[in-house]
Amino acid sequence: MAEPAYTVASDSDTTGEEKSSSAFPEIAIGIDVGTSQCSVAVWNGSEVVILKNTRNQKKMRSYVTFKDDIPSGGVSHQLSHEHEMLSGAAIFNMKRLIGRVDTDPVVHSSKSLPFLVQTLDIGVRPFIAALVNNVWRSTTPEEVLAIFLVELKAMAEVQLKRPIRNVVLTIPVSFSRFQVTRIERACAMAGLHVLRLMPEPTAVALLYAQQQQQAVHENIGGGAEKIALILNMGAGYCDVAVTATAGGVSQIKALAGSAIGGEDILQNTMHHLLPDLEILFSKHGINEIKSTGLLRVATQDAIHKLSSQTSVQIDVDLGNELKICKVVDQEEFEEVNKNVFEKCESLIIQCLHDAKVQTEDVADIIVVGGCSYIPKLRNLVMSVCKRQELYKGMNPVEAAVCGAALEGAVASGISDPFGSLDLLTIQVTPLAIGIRADGNKFVPVIPRNTTMPTRKELAFTTVHDNQTEALIVVYEGEGEKVEENHLLGYFKIMGIPPAPKGVPEINVCMDIDASNVLRVLAGVVLPGSRHPAIPVMEVRMPTVDDGHGWCVEALHRTYGSGLDLVTIQKKI
Amino acid sequence: MKLWTPLSTILRRTLPSIPYFPTSQFQSPTYNFSPSPPSSSTNSPNSLTHNFHFPLKTFCSGSPENFHVRCWTCGHVAKAALFLVCDSCRTIQPVDQSVDYFHIFGLERKFDIGVENLEGKYKEWQKKLHPDLVHSKSEEERGYAAEQSGRVIDAYRTLSKPLLRAIYVLRLEGVDVDEEETLSDPELLSEILEIREAVEEAADSQELNQIQSQMREKLSHWSNSFANAYRCRNFEEAQNSIRRMTYYERVNEEIVKKL
Repeated sequence: MAEPAYTVASDSDTTGEEKSSSAFPEIAIGIDVGTSQCSVAVWNGSEVVILKNTRNQKKMRSYVTFKDDIPSGGVSHQLSHEHEMLSGAAIFNMKRLIGRVDTDPVVHSSKSLPFLVQTLDIGVRPFIAALVNNVWRSTTPEEVLAIFLVELKAMAEVQLKRPIRNVVLTIPVSFSRFQVTRIERACAMAGLHVLRLMPEPTAVALLYAQQQQQAVHENIGGGAEKIALILNMGAGYCDVAVTATAGGVSQIKALAGSAIGGEDILQNTMHHLLPDLEILFSKHGINEIKSTGLLRVATQDAIHKLSSQTSVQIDVDLGNELKICKVVDQEEFEEVNKNVFEKCESLIIQCLHDAKVQTEDVADIIVVGGCSYIPKLRNLVMSVCKRQELYKGMNPVEAAVCGAALEGAVASGISDPFGSLDLLTIQVTPLAIGIRADGNKFVPVIPRNTTMPTRKELAFTTVHDNQTEALIVVYEGEGEKVEENHLLGYFKIMGIPPAPKGVPEINVCMDIDASNVLRVLAGVVLPGSRHPAIPVMEVRMPTVDDGHGWCVEALHRTYGSGLDLVTIQKKI
Repeated sequence: MKLWTPLSTILRRTLPSIPYFPTSQFQSPTYNFSPSPPSSSTNSPNSLTHNFHFPLKTFCSGSPENFHVRCWTCGHVAKAALFLVCDSCRTIQPVDQSVDYFHIFGLERKFDIGVENLEGKYKEWQKKLHPDLVHSKSEEERGYAAEQSGRVIDAYRTLSKPLLRAIYVLRLEGVDVDEEETLSDPELLSEILEIREAVEEAADSQELNQIQSQMREKLSHWSNSFANAYRCRNFEEAQNSIRRMTYYERVNEEIVKKL
């Protein structure tokens, strides 16, 4: 990743010359910051090892508690009890909140968490706060993530006995470029430089590519191309990838993802056990936080048990004479979470369709992430892919971080005498990038699943006679209407030579370079001319900062449709 | 002036792959071919990148001297005309315009090629050229990696799709196909309109699938007739076949959108 403009840390050690002359290049570590859990891994010179904290844990809870004078996170902090995390003093699920505005349904679904998530529903960053000594202390998802990353960094530095700066981070497929900038900002705050961000299933794909490569070396199977479907579902996100692997190269064919995961399953089940949960919780007082916390722990526990048994007895006293005593069986659980499983299924179907792959061409089906233990999810994937079994060669909760560590070594220029790092991932754009045109439509310029780096161009024209200005509003996403997508930025083209509507040709070019930097270029050409009528505009995106939700509304209020564009229709 | 400098540096990596490849082919809203290799010598007025001057002489090594090309870092002399990576120090070399897409894939320059082995060769190249692999190298080499790797992506995409491959081989012969031209053949026009109507009115996916398989048949028919015309160097007929394929391909895309 290129360093964002606001990175304050010195970038002197990222210049090529310096690095290539160094005999011991710094190996970037791989970090998988999950919604619920987190892990760190690194290439140790011959293989990937997962680092453990002082309590000998490979998996650490992703949270930061503000209970004490100095905030502490799940890396160093020891929870006295699960309920401690649910007292309101700890902030967790950062990954579901970072880079989202307060009109986002995912933010709204976080309002029943013990800490405070306040939404004003006007399209600004939500207000989040931790309860410390009866005071709601405000913070931001970036700050919480940065504190957590500082702990991870310190832990890795102690174990590896060297300073850590470069990291490869895994991110959900559905993250927009705006959300990515928030992750990069959190890393910069923690003194880390993001060498690369990998969509989670592509990290798994890289690990798979390495395993296949090794199998070829050991003469198990041929060296032919193998197609794998990867589903990675954790607490916050469900992501799917189709990859074609040969010779250590993983070409991502298609990606699909959504902010749906174990947290939704948990909340659905909590609602099922206590239908008027919202009303009970609306006050967000200390007693309510405590009751909801008790319910959360009990439900979580029940869901875990349902992975291995057909029914579970839930017995919990929520205080205030509110008791829940209920038996929940598999079938009921699956019915309650129907929407989650249906979404997973549609993601798999969409990904196979986008990859233009038939189920019978899929050699391996890999299901990883915390939710991979849910029998319904496993059965669902097998039934969509018409298979009897899943790939067994991976630890479901370690696959993503191991892939990130491999990428960290490859990206740091490390080679391995045994060819274990003879690897490459060829990434695609997880979301389409385009502009607002044809009224309120989102018109993609770079379609989703385009191999990167890439450059695409599309021609637009004016909607009014003698229109001299046009707004280029850039979005990223999959929705047909602009408001269903993430806003990345906007700028105005001025000085279009007066001409009847439909005559000036406004070319919008989007370029994603090898460092994954997006640039949007816009220029105007009049028929019969070979030269741009005005200087070309070049804008590095995203340009938006917080509070972007209402920027577009403000633009609309101010300009109406006066600066609109339409796509040029294909002649027949 | 300041604006132009960064612009040309970004655009450098998609330097014209071959000197006569107009970008107008790549901008159709319904047709996404790209990344469009910008051209320096076309009559296409409507490309954004068209009017910028690339430091061409830095990259054009010119075919006659090809065999005397040396690696820009270690000075090793190239053994073959196909010199994308130095055999000695594995450094990625600047783009050589005289190397065409067929050459990159070790294929004879003809239309009817087997596409089965393209993916393997494509990956082999990416493993040597991909910018991710030279992350820690000099900025110059990272630039070459981006260009070369982008070019291999273009080459792979172009060669693996019959229509793109057809346009490409013709262009290598110096024949430009103008895709923007309006349809003048009334018979083809009415046929296309009829099919489009059928697509629009299709009641279910079964009907769409049916039309799609018809399109596939037509595409394979015209692809064969292109192959014949090209072999006989009847470029008029070849262009006609391309025109047909273009329209059927567009219908196909409409169907995929609706499915």
